[in-house]
Amino acid sequence: MPEYSVIGKRLPRVDAKDKVTGRAKYTADLELPGMLWGKLVRSSYPHARILNIDTRQAERLPGVKAVTTGKDFGSYKRGWNQDEEPLAVERVRYIGEGIAAVAAIDEDTAEEAAKLVKVDYEELPGCFDVFEAMKDGAPLVHDNCPNNICFELHWHFGDVDMAFEESYLVREDRFKIPNVAGGYIEPSAILANWDASDKVTVWASEALPHFLWMTIVDLYKLPMNHVRVIQPIHGANFGGSKAGNMDNCNWAAVMLAKNAGKPVKIVQTMEEQLAVALRRHKMYIDIKTGVNRDGLLQAIQTKVVADGGAYSALSPLVLHYTGAQMGLPYELPNFKTDMYCVFTNTPSSSVHRGMGVFESRFAADVQMDMIADELGIDPLEMRLRNAIDPPKPGSIYETINQLHVATCGIKECLEKTAKAVDWKERIGAKKVDGNIAWGMGIAASAFPSGVKHGGHSSCAAIIRICEDGSVNLLTGATDVGQGSDTIICQIAAEVLGIALEDIEIRRVDSAVTPVDPGSFGSRVTVFAGQATQRAAEDAKRQLLEFAAKQFGAKPQDIDSKDKKVFVKTNAEKSMPWLDLVRMACYSTSGAVIIGRGYSTSDIIIAHESIELFTKGTGDLGVNYSFATQESEVEVDMETGVVSCVDSTIAKDAGRPLNPNSVETQSIGGSLQGLGEALYEDFIMDNGKTLNPTFLDYKKPTSYDAPMTKVIHVITDDPNGPFGAKEAAEATMTTAAPSIISALHDATGIWIKELPATPEKVWKALKEKPRK
Amino acid sequence: MIRDFVYFTPKTVEEALALLSQYREESKIIAGGQSLLILMRQGLITPQYLIDIKGISSLDYINLDAKEGLKIGALTTHRAVETCPVIGNGFSVLADMEQKLASVETRNWGTIGGNLCHADPAGDPAPVLIALDGKLKMTSLSGERIMVIEEFSKDYFETVLQADEMLSEIQVPIQPPHTGTAYAKFTLIEGDMAIVGTAVSITLNSKDRTCNDARIVLGAVAPIPMRAKNAEKVLVGKKIEDDLLEKAAQVASEEARPIADIHASEEYRRELVRVLVKRVGGEALERAKGA
Amino acid sequence: MKKELKLTVNAKPYELAVEPRTLLVEVLRNELGLTGTKLACSSGSCAACTVLVNGKAVKSCSILALQANGKNILTIEGLANGANLHPLQKSFVKNHGFACGYCTPGMILSAKALLDENSNPTEREVRQAISMHLCRCGTYPKIVKSILDAAKMIEGD
Repeated sequence: MPEYSVIGKRLPRVDAKDKVTGRAKYTADLELPGMLWGKLVRSSYPHARILNIDTRQAERLPGVKAVTTGKDFGSYKRGWNQDEEPLAVERVRYIGEGIAAVAAIDEDTAEEAAKLVKVDYEELPGCFDVFEAMKDGAPLVHDNCPNNICFELHWHFGDVDMAFEESYLVREDRFKIPNVAGGYIEPSAILANWDASDKVTVWASEALPHFLWMTIVDLYKLPMNHVRVIQPIHGANFGGSKAGNMDNCNWAAVMLAKNAGKPVKIVQTMEEQLAVALRRHKMYIDIKTGVNRDGLLQAIQTKVVADGGAYSALSPLVLHYTGAQMGLPYELPNFKTDMYCVFTNTPSSSVHRGMGVFESRFAADVQMDMIADELGIDPLEMRLRNAIDPPKPGSIYETINQLHVATCGIKECLEKTAKAVDWKERIGAKKVDGNIAWGMGIAASAFPSGVKHGGHSSCAAIIRICEDGSVNLLTGATDVGQGSDTIICQIAAEVLGIALEDIEIRRVDSAVTPVDPGSFGSRVTVFAGQATQRAAEDAKRQLLEFAAKQFGAKPQDIDSKDKKVFVKTNAEKSMPWLDLVRMACYSTSGAVIIGRGYSTSDIIIAHESIELFTKGTGDLGVNYSFATQESEVEVDMETGVVSCVDSTIAKDAGRPLNPNSVETQSIGGSLQGLGEALYEDFIMDNGKTLNPTFLDYKKPTSYDAPMTKVIHVITDDPNGPFGAKEAAEATMTTAAPSIISALHDATGIWIKELPATPEKVWKALKEKPRK
Repeated sequence: MIRDFVYFTPKTVEEALALLSQYREESKIIAGGQSLLILMRQGLITPQYLIDIKGISSLDYINLDAKEGLKIGALTTHRAVETCPVIGNGFSVLADMEQKLASVETRNWGTIGGNLCHADPAGDPAPVLIALDGKLKMTSLSGERIMVIEEFSKDYFETVLQADEMLSEIQVPIQPPHTGTAYAKFTLIEGDMAIVGTAVSITLNSKDRTCNDARIVLGAVAPIPMRAKNAEKVLVGKKIEDDLLEKAAQVASEEARPIADIHASEEYRRELVRVLVKRVGGEALERAKGA
Repeated sequence: MKKELKLTVNAKPYELAVEPRTLLVEVLRNELGLTGTKLACSSGSCAACTVLVNGKAVKSCSILALQANGKNILTIEGLANGANLHPLQKSFVKNHGFACGYCTPGMILSAKALLDENSNPTEREVRQAISMHLCRCGTYPKIVKSILDAAKMIEGD
């Protein structure tokens, strides 16, 4: 195993001191001289024609400096289907859709002015249920989409019909996943400035600042170098759900700044955010699975209907993931699916942490337990039998839909978990004590790291070596809270052979830092990490050439480690890092050492090619992380309350570059999954969100988080920097099936519709036939 | 956005009452404001005059008298009730209740009197205080009156307080011998608002251990905290065994008047009443046996 | 009409004039520029805005600024002693007791109030002290460990 000095160490995060002292500035904390406050005017109808927008009264209110409506944006449209206007012009399609915006000297005046904008509507019949919406004659959310179909995919790999016929057992179930919130607590905020020479600067709580940059350029026909997007410290995101070009406020703020000639800040209230921010799709999965006598998977067939809400956003990507990840982490020889994303007059859904995989693994992993139960096979044994073997070094495992796996630690994850939790002993333990039943469950999953989209998909980095030996790392990588800044600094320090403290990171500023599409699809460590590694190697190569002259050796025979530069074969020949830097910069040619690097990938990426995307073949990412989660629950048999009392995760993140960070990410993902398993659900009534506050939208608190243990399984993936893969999204997808499995172990009931609220569990317990 | 108001900080009860009698319905009293400020921010309450009584230190006390019982000033914080050693002396159920009320941050600033006046049917203190047969002292310029807490709430978020009147004291009598009181609430996440709250007080006959008195109080299942009087009747005069408690619980679930909302159906709330009355009743009984 | 407000914040006295409807969090962030106090839910249900008022943890979004008149306030900016971090801060740094960090200031201040009252809390008591603090990144196990470790650090001093 390679010996690293910085990689793999439990080092503190580079942003830690700023975050524990309150010095970290988030977008809402920023202020500019003369700054105005913006406020959105939002639709109060789920589906209506806009007859008239009268802003005169708002404009007359003292303190109001600018107003904008959708007409200011011309015919610009956005989203996968190009179906969404920056602000609605003729028609609104969900409650809360942005129609106009105002800017005023303070927050209160802006709020008052927004109320004075008068909108006349003609209410239209709406669609609120996907199955109703798909019927002939249903009202159309978009006139050009018959039966309200936003997008559909139909794939068939192998021959499921024959496989079902040959199967020993075939089971069919319907699973339902609700609409849930990103639920990040940082308010969505943007501060925009448009100066007199038409240069635009924007600070935004935004995971995809690059997209925001490009869309401003695109809309206003400005040169890219006149638009500057800066990402301040970001208070979490969870899967690009704030994807910049999708947010009415981002559009409005820039237009208001242009119209007012002054900086404009918009900070959304939590209620606005919860009521309109992009959500996880409400999804129905009909799944039919055939197995042989030993429980080995023969075929899976699914029909997926996803509620996309009012606009397409990035829904097709989610649909694609839902299908493409139906097999992993198991051997699946035959697979067929028909998937539909359907429009309704509800707030849009889009990419959300664990996208598609959360949904498909919930359905498939829970159903696997149901089948195991019917066959009398232990759930852990069932998974061991079906899990793919680790590919031999140098060889690649290919799934039926042509995903390529170079390393896979799923069996090791299962085996180590079984040992750590004493599975065999405890699964047979006594289940009920008084009113409380106890149970344990397991789930397994996989998640692609390093997803690629079309367009500019690479990350890049610049390493600048200062004359005093300190280093600037310039990156466009977007740390949205996951800790990637620290990881890429560790990579730079390891390559250069210096300490983490010697690296100072300069974060996303499109005027200064290299291009980077953002934080989504678990791509930052893999791509930005690779870019950083290459930039550091480039800088190091330049430095070592000077050392070579000094030592009279070849550059390739020299290395630097722990701030020392030395000839590998002759330890006598060495010098401190600082001496080499000074020598390079001062005493020889007066060099300026700047390294650069960008990420590349030879792997076929599905989203790059619309043909492959439609066919459903090809890789989603450069490598695949694997995870298992064991959960233990206590169930109050009288009230139906389910408490997760303990949990153990085994995680193949390739190589944990900072084990603390991997643990925080894995546990964090799993806790969000727990929330979706037990509590979270947007309750809707004809397009209206009934629980858009943290009082009514129930989510996990400190009481709900067991002291989850994390077992690191190291597989050193050849396609990840220092062997790394993603850390959080796989465990986002294991929590729910492991908890539902534990709930069944405790009580004998199956919950197929999330969340497993006390009332739902109570009803199921009541209806359960008594043995 | 909170609407503008004129703000007063009376230093004495008299000053506060003078302001109240001057501004009456146009004014609102703020104590800890842990609920009020949210309502004001939402524009649901828009007083022209806000009378801030939090600084009136004469209403911040906890006194215990062997004869007169426990007296708690209306402006005593939840946290003070929770942690005061005096409370542990026969009234520990109040501390138990407070521990379940919202969060430390809320309890540090919010007052027990403010909570009662907010009259949220899901509030925690009222059911417990009713089970303890507590009374409230209300004060106005025209004098004082005292009433049982049971009669204080009129409807959702409405009390019997007159426009010129304020709550000044909570009184809890010394409990009869062999009395046990307990409180529990059902929440969707721990520390949350009650979906159903239940306080039960049981007094046993010192000779034959039959039930001399029982008070069963339900929170969040009616517009106001309600006594489950039919259920109480099931217990009084009898020796309480598990079966009897089950029966009382069933009766309580039938006489509760819960509504359905986004968090729970009516049917489920009734079931929760049944489960809680049985469990809390059992705990109260154990305490009564030990008292 | 504006009213006079005297506050001591992080050991520094301030005299201000504020509208009565101003919340404490607004004074701290907008008037004093102490943006380490975070505003998130504005409904008293996430505790990100927690500060210490006379040593007690209070949600600064749920009290009027004038209600804090004459009081002593500690915000996250005042916790460290110059460059020397408070043991809680050190422990959060060491244990990765955060991810995005938005809940961290409030979390640390409630933890300080706990440790000031109870130098040797149980895990359950730690969870109670932060029960309303929403950490959507789900780092609670690391936060609980950070607080328990800090307690040991302070005891050991």
